[in-house]
Amino acid sequence: MSEVEAEEKNNEVCVPEKTHFPPCRDACPVNTDIQSYVWLIGEGRYEEALDVIRSVNPIASACSLICHHPCEQQCRRCDVDQPVSIRPLKRFALEQATEYRRKKRRAVPKTRDKSIAVIGSGPSGLTAANDLADLGYGVTIYEKNPDLGGMLSSAIPTYRLSREALKEDIDDVLSKGVESVTDCNIGHDITLEELKEKHDAVLIAVGLAESRSLPIPGVEGPGVLLAIPFLFNAAYNKPTGMGKNVLVIGGGNVAVDVARTALRLGADKVEMVCLESEEEMPAWDWEVEEADDEGVKVHHRWGPKAVRRDGDSVKGLDVVKVTSVFDENGRFSPSFDEENKQLMEADTIIITIGQMSNYDFLKGSNVERDERGLIKWDRETQMSTERGIFVSGEVVTGPGSAIAAAASGHRSARAIHLYLEGQDIAQGLHAVEKARIDKLPQDVAEKVHRVSRNETELLDPKTRCREFVQIEIGYDELTALKEARRCRSCGGGAIVDQNKCMACLTCLRVCPYDAPVVTNVSYISPDRCQACGLCAPECPGRAISMFGYDINSIRREMPSTVGKAEPSRKDPVVVAFMCSRYALDKTVSIPANIRKVQVHCASRIDILDILKAFESGADGISVVMCDSEGCRHPGVAGIVAKRLKQAQGLIGPLGIGSEAISYIRAAEGQDWGKSLTESASKVSVRNK
Amino acid sequence: MIVGSQKPLDEIWEMAKGFKKVLVFGCNTCVAICHAGGDKEAQTLASLLRTRAVQEGLDMTVDSMAVQRHCEPEYFEPVMDKVRKYDMVLSTACGVGVNFLSGRIGNVHVYPGINTSFYGAVEAPGVFTELCAGCGDCILHMTGGICPVARCSKTLMNGPCGGTDKGKCEIGKEVDCAWYLIVERMKALGTLEQLAEVRPPRNWSPGTAGGPRRLTIEHLMDMEESEE
Repeated sequence: MSEVEAEEKNNEVCVPEKTHFPPCRDACPVNTDIQSYVWLIGEGRYEEALDVIRSVNPIASACSLICHHPCEQQCRRCDVDQPVSIRPLKRFALEQATEYRRKKRRAVPKTRDKSIAVIGSGPSGLTAANDLADLGYGVTIYEKNPDLGGMLSSAIPTYRLSREALKEDIDDVLSKGVESVTDCNIGHDITLEELKEKHDAVLIAVGLAESRSLPIPGVEGPGVLLAIPFLFNAAYNKPTGMGKNVLVIGGGNVAVDVARTALRLGADKVEMVCLESEEEMPAWDWEVEEADDEGVKVHHRWGPKAVRRDGDSVKGLDVVKVTSVFDENGRFSPSFDEENKQLMEADTIIITIGQMSNYDFLKGSNVERDERGLIKWDRETQMSTERGIFVSGEVVTGPGSAIAAAASGHRSARAIHLYLEGQDIAQGLHAVEKARIDKLPQDVAEKVHRVSRNETELLDPKTRCREFVQIEIGYDELTALKEARRCRSCGGGAIVDQNKCMACLTCLRVCPYDAPVVTNVSYISPDRCQACGLCAPECPGRAISMFGYDINSIRREMPSTVGKAEPSRKDPVVVAFMCSRYALDKTVSIPANIRKVQVHCASRIDILDILKAFESGADGISVVMCDSEGCRHPGVAGIVAKRLKQAQGLIGPLGIGSEAISYIRAAEGQDWGKSLTESASKVSVRNK
Repeated sequence: MIVGSQKPLDEIWEMAKGFKKVLVFGCNTCVAICHAGGDKEAQTLASLLRTRAVQEGLDMTVDSMAVQRHCEPEYFEPVMDKVRKYDMVLSTACGVGVNFLSGRIGNVHVYPGINTSFYGAVEAPGVFTELCAGCGDCILHMTGGICPVARCSKTLMNGPCGGTDKGKCEIGKEVDCAWYLIVERMKALGTLEQLAEVRPPRNWSPGTAGGPRRLTIEHLMDMEESEE
């Protein structure tokens, strides 16, 4: 053992594994560690944030623009004011770290001599290809369209998802060594059985790429279009056959996409008609609102009866009033008031009432279909009825979100790996349930400062509705940092090492949220903990650490932070511990003799960090912390001030005056840089 | 619990400065609770000593570690090989721990980093009060649960002295007069007349007056042998 092993132990990296899923992470189909990446964004560590996001989500850029963000709906901040704006934060991090992301791309060595064919390159197929490549398999994607991405590239309009962003996701996957064959129609260009011969396993991830039509009179003929071909043609700048007066049938998200695309293609008037009321309509509220802002009118509770034509031309749609959409069991079963009817005039009708798959490619294979025509599959193994042919995504799960399809892709990739390894698939896929964090207790919610959500700006509806440009304006850095700091870091707080705890009650006494429960030892309730970190530096047994944060990191890096203090220096070397909010403020410059140490919150500054600064040769230290309005946690300033006073008492016997330790209560817009410089100038240069 | 406080740095430095390799050895039980000698305080002291060593231009290694308790061998024996590699161990355990370690470490200096003060309670966060003197012959049942041995400045056994003043002791206005407290408490409990009972003189031999004390509990001794 080396002489210094004991000290190294005190400085070892200490970042415990998280024990609980907060509701945001639980709601995400791929369980993205949202708390971690939002925290990293708040710390200005965008590249690490990207790594966290990408570690579970191969379609991260697409999701950063189009995800329906179930995480936000479940955000515990809803119990305080409004949810954290998670999706735009994801977009911000990814955009900030684009160069890093590109540089990181490299081929994954093929360590296994088996290969997999993935049919379809939508969210599910891309994800599975990504995972299988990571495992060292050879992977070939077969895509019927000219570009990879499935619906993301061929149907989602570019005003929502720029193709540049999508390309980043696809390039990530391809860079791993995944091969792709585009314009490839399975069944014509190559059969499923041939694929099975060529590869060791096949994954069917073809999605729902065809539109359903309506069996109503007049539907056949020009002027009546189907959603997916319409969106495809729009995406590839091909003629759509659309006129000037467009009526979209349907109330889902695709219907909204179609309506807004029609506007951008030059329609004079675009209206939607759907069976559902405003509340029942399945499209997301924000999509409908944005469409409304652009001038798309929605007719609720009308059902299509016939396309009225004058010769070949469409004149409009005969509709009847809907009396109810769902039966008493909540099943879709619309009923109509046949007496109440009208003609909705239009020269183009676009049917957007749902999607399905084309199963022609299954011909000649042993992949069976059920009585409804859907592929038969085993949910336990992700396998079809033909051994070695797996399924994933919407072709089997039905319509859903992109990220849910990605989750299905992860699962199928894992299933394929287990299959190729000869292991029990069902057992291998069996997931151990993670403990979940409960609702934010009301008394904790009351202690949380209200801070309004920073909504993203959209382009002016008057101009945006005529062009295919990304309508959402992403966050600037300052706004992103502000928004990230709204996160309460649920599940990213403190944890007690029960072997070291002596139940002294210090954590309980210092916690502003009454999170510790002390019986035989302390247990910090993840339901209550807000991750301020006040407790860890106070713990006399060093039993408390923080999820995702190394409590020893500041001390470990202190010698290099302080650097070499020249004996002949005139200006004192002062270590400034700065709350991230100020450390990341690029508008304030501080002189070089002040060495910056960024801390998540002043609450996390340890006496040992302060002493380490002096030990490393600093002449003084200063703390820049938020004023009471700005601080994320109640009572931090008072406790930190006491800590600093204690530190002053400790350095006194070393002959270092109390002026060597100071603090500044900063506020946004205030010249705290000047105050810091002033207090640093009062510090004396130490002799040695 | 046992309460103590760290010795002044200058005093510790005088002990430590002659050694090349010093281990500050913390104890994570009583003295950690009073923030005097647990892992954190051991690290704090080690850091201060390292800074002092640089100031004095001395080539000195100061490390720290802590174990759960210094007063039972099972806790520190697993790390004794490491501990013995130091020239001097500055124990921040109570005096019990320093003694105990000294007797088991071999030829390594073991010095005290803290002054062991008393058996006390946490009156309020950060306030520790002496309430027991470990006299070996408890009379709390006769004094309303308030100990005159520990809490009377003169350890009087038969009521207050002339120095009592409105419930406070003559040694300081912040010190309660234990006998005042006893009387008030027994009044409230309705047992005041018990104080009038004549009792034989107190036997001080179970306390330190009888020499070093040792306690044996037979059924806990030699457990391994008794299996047969």
